[in-house]
Amino acid sequence: MIPFDYQRADRADGAVAAVGVRPAAAFLGGGTNLVDHLKLGVAEPELLVDVTRLPFDGIDTLPDGGVRVGATVRNSDLAAEAIVRQRYPVLSQALLSGASGQLRNLATTGGNLLQRTRCPYFQDVTTPCNKREPGQGCSARGGYTRYHAILGASEHCVATHPSDMAVALTALDATVHVTGPNGQRDIPVTELHRLPGDEPHRDTVLEHGDLITAVDLPELPMAARSRYRKVRDRASYAFALVSVAAALDVEDGTVREARIALGGVAHKPWRANTAEQALRGAPATEQSFREAAEAELAEAQPVRDNAFKVPMARNTLVATLRDLAGEEAR
Amino acid sequence: MSDHAPARSPQDLDDSIAGGIGESPTRPDGALKVRGEYAYASDLWAEDMLWGATLRSPHPYARIRSIDIGPALATPGVYAVLTHSDVPGENLYGLKIVDQPVLAVDVVRYRGEAVALVAADHPETARRAMERIEVDYEVLEPITDPELAAHDTTLPELHPGGNVVRHQPIVKGDPEASADVVVSGLYTLGMQDQAFLGPEAGLAVPAPDGGVDLYLATQDLHSDRKQTAQALGLPPEKVRMTMSGVGGAFGGREDLSIQVHCSMLALHTGKPVKMVYDREESFHGHVHRHPAKMYYEHGATRDGDLVYVRATLYFDGGAYASKTPVVVGNGTTLGIGPYAVPNVRIEGWGLYTNNPPCGAMRGLGAVQPALAYEAQMDKLADALGMDPVEVRIRNALSQGGTTPTGQVLDYPAPVAELLDRVRRLPLPAEHDSAPADIRDLPGGASNTTHGEGVVRGIGYGVCIKNICYAEGADDYSTARVRLQIIGGEPLAVVHTAAAEVGQGLVTVQQQIARTELGVERVNIHPNDTDVGPAGSSSASRQTYVTGGAVRNACEAVRDVLLQRVAARSGESIGDLSLSGGKVVSSATGVLADLADVIGDDVIEETREYHHRETYPLDEELGTSERAQVQHAFSAHRAVVDVDTELGLVKVVQLDCSQDVGKAMNPEAVIGQIQGGSAQGLGLAVMEEIRVDGGTIRNASFTDYLIPTILDMPPMNIDVIERADPNSPYGVRGVGEPPTISSTPAVVAAIRAATGKALTHTPVAPEHIIADIPR
Repeated sequence: MIPFDYQRADRADGAVAAVGVRPAAAFLGGGTNLVDHLKLGVAEPELLVDVTRLPFDGIDTLPDGGVRVGATVRNSDLAAEAIVRQRYPVLSQALLSGASGQLRNLATTGGNLLQRTRCPYFQDVTTPCNKREPGQGCSARGGYTRYHAILGASEHCVATHPSDMAVALTALDATVHVTGPNGQRDIPVTELHRLPGDEPHRDTVLEHGDLITAVDLPELPMAARSRYRKVRDRASYAFALVSVAAALDVEDGTVREARIALGGVAHKPWRANTAEQALRGAPATEQSFREAAEAELAEAQPVRDNAFKVPMARNTLVATLRDLAGEEAR
Repeated sequence: MSDHAPARSPQDLDDSIAGGIGESPTRPDGALKVRGEYAYASDLWAEDMLWGATLRSPHPYARIRSIDIGPALATPGVYAVLTHSDVPGENLYGLKIVDQPVLAVDVVRYRGEAVALVAADHPETARRAMERIEVDYEVLEPITDPELAAHDTTLPELHPGGNVVRHQPIVKGDPEASADVVVSGLYTLGMQDQAFLGPEAGLAVPAPDGGVDLYLATQDLHSDRKQTAQALGLPPEKVRMTMSGVGGAFGGREDLSIQVHCSMLALHTGKPVKMVYDREESFHGHVHRHPAKMYYEHGATRDGDLVYVRATLYFDGGAYASKTPVVVGNGTTLGIGPYAVPNVRIEGWGLYTNNPPCGAMRGLGAVQPALAYEAQMDKLADALGMDPVEVRIRNALSQGGTTPTGQVLDYPAPVAELLDRVRRLPLPAEHDSAPADIRDLPGGASNTTHGEGVVRGIGYGVCIKNICYAEGADDYSTARVRLQIIGGEPLAVVHTAAAEVGQGLVTVQQQIARTELGVERVNIHPNDTDVGPAGSSSASRQTYVTGGAVRNACEAVRDVLLQRVAARSGESIGDLSLSGGKVVSSATGVLADLADVIGDDVIEETREYHHRETYPLDEELGTSERAQVQHAFSAHRAVVDVDTELGLVKVVQLDCSQDVGKAMNPEAVIGQIQGGSAQGLGLAVMEEIRVDGGTIRNASFTDYLIPTILDMPPMNIDVIERADPNSPYGVRGVGEPPTISSTPAVVAAIRAATGKALTHTPVAPEHIIADIPR
């Protein structure tokens, strides 16, 4: 850990200015990811601007029927919020399946979106990593890759995004509010995270000094019957091998609309557009679900240790859709 | 302990003991631990202390061209930077083979090997200084395949004498015997971590006599002292060690970690030096369980009688020998399991590689073959169309039976009885009737299944483990017992060097003293090297050997007392006993209060306990009249639900029958069986250190998974007591067997549920959901 300065921000514009002017500055939220990286030497900021006291800790209903979640709302609080549990159960379930109670009490909404990969080579500063240091090469390719991507990877990076919450937000078509050195803007969460391409060091489209202030959940009645399923190596406190966030709108045995995102399979929460497209207008049957899942995974390219993720993702998706369709039928 | 003991080294254990042998009195350290008041080694503190840190190799195998400590030494706040040239004595140590440098000289053989030391005024200063030590490495291609290390003579030799640490054949009967029914298999086991919660820690205080006082958490003070003194170039009496609170051990504290390093820095700077590893360093700073590759073939008659077992076992010892010789000894001698087999040929190899060093862990060397021989017994049952328990009972070893080394078991060996008892324990309810609580299903609260695709399976495992040191080691412990009157009441003080590592040894010692001396207050003196050796808290041996030593010392104290009273009263000493703080005559009743007999005296006696002699194995045939002094047995039945769509496993119930000889403290016995079973469950379904290219890829408790309470099912535990006539009180080691038989039982249950071969342990979703070659 290198020596660093610490400031506690009480205004968003001040925080943005403080970070914006120093290239080696970073925002500090709950610290559940960044502090680990400080200890490991993965992150070496010279200034940390603590944004947890900014007035972004509310969960409010919007005039258009959506819900605004402040960026500093803790994961525990968001998961427990009645309106979230009723209208967006997939989000509550995703949050509760992540980390441990202690970590969820600290972790913030904004920080959770900006979690970095748990690729062991990214976290080990003695091994080359394009995400840590562009141009070094990717040690994971040819290495231990059980947790790595099967979709959308590049030759430069095969890491996965570790968040559960972000997978649910992706399925829900949430919008991220950002304030930065150049003013405010809104980014669809589906466009916040990037695929690695030839710039694997960039996890998101955010620029230096951009601060997430809130996340909007759109009004989405079908989300009242949504599910998060997380497949992991033990019953609690483990990252996803594969996860599925889904909502399904079925009428008279036919799928009207589907919202699906996959976790643990790509550099970003993976919106399953192909599967959604395949399901629209299709009969709500096991066969449709399987065909949709297989269509989504047709392009999957497993690496050395993660071929199992393809059938696991397929089966998890089918089971989640089956579950949702069964509930509709009742 | 020196007069100026550092803060937080005394433990203030409760000295009132409410029960004797066979009862379950409260632990003297229990309330302190649950209240968070127990002082662990990482809590040690001295006002003017420095912080030590260890620079470790980033490469599994490399030549060191040069080390430049100049910039590090120039860092403000740094008091010392030491390398191999500063090691005062012999720059080599080791438990069985002295092969590991205190600090690397011209080669590093594993990632994480210690290269240099720093002492500074703050841990962060020390860490930054370490980054300024410039080591020029010539990186070499690591040897990572132990089977190749055994046979490929073109590989570089990692140590003088080659890459074989130990090769041991065992031959019994006709090694080429044939049989009507033959099953074979290749089984592999991943690397397991002890996963103790308290990281390696200690505080070294330089002494005026040129020696050092080291406060630390360890399993064996005298073994540490012997190796440390050798490396420091000091006579042993100048290296004094005192036990601090141990936050778990499980074998991982048998080898040295901070001992020499911390002492070197303290002696060099003349100041107290504290070292504490963080979790990542801890994963690199202690040995792990040996991964193994095991080829097995079993032959049987059509009636199910075993005719022969042939096996070849490869144990990856990693860069240094540690306990590899013992792992090979145990793995081969116990390699056919608790079965009577007329013809045996086993070959065991322990190898040097550039993987992390492997050594002691609960179940030492017996865990690996149990996975193979129990899988083979199930395979055999399947080939014969027999019930898996019946095949095991039919071939079970029993008292009077002979092991593959030719040793006749002259104590109870109730293997068949344990199997029969465990299968009769109640089974859990089926899921069919009512919708299940989702937490009881595979994936639990992860919401992965509501029961669809879930299949139940039941599996059995039974094991054999040798207790105490073996193969000719002089295995003993020492106890000093003092009896005096404090505040009008008799108080016994028990002083040993035996490590309380969580197993409850302090309680058992109090119980023995209470029973033998008839007193209700027993103080456990801090463990240190002022008393003779106790050996390690390992091999399930401490209640046996230290229990024996405490008993012997108590008897000696009692003899002194009774002689005194006999002389005074004229009664025959044979009629006298101690009870409730009084001397009682079977002829005339209460004779005296202990307070009156002892007065201001202190009666103190020191005794050793040595168990029966054991003998080495023949190098060619593995024969030995008595290779091991005692064997322990346990049997498990596992009930699992498997989500076959996702490959997730829920262990629904895990039951155990175990023979403990004599349950000195029945509640502690249950605790050992629960803990051992949890550790075995972890190995069955999740615990694996992922080593790739010689480097650990999951050195954290976020990435190395151990079971939580959500993964651990309820247990039915059935304890039987078939006394060993050769051991103190008839005890039989308890701690290790449940770790051994639980794992194969769980794996067998998953096989039963899925029909998959599952040759690798731990079983992961990818082995169940799809056939991913390993």
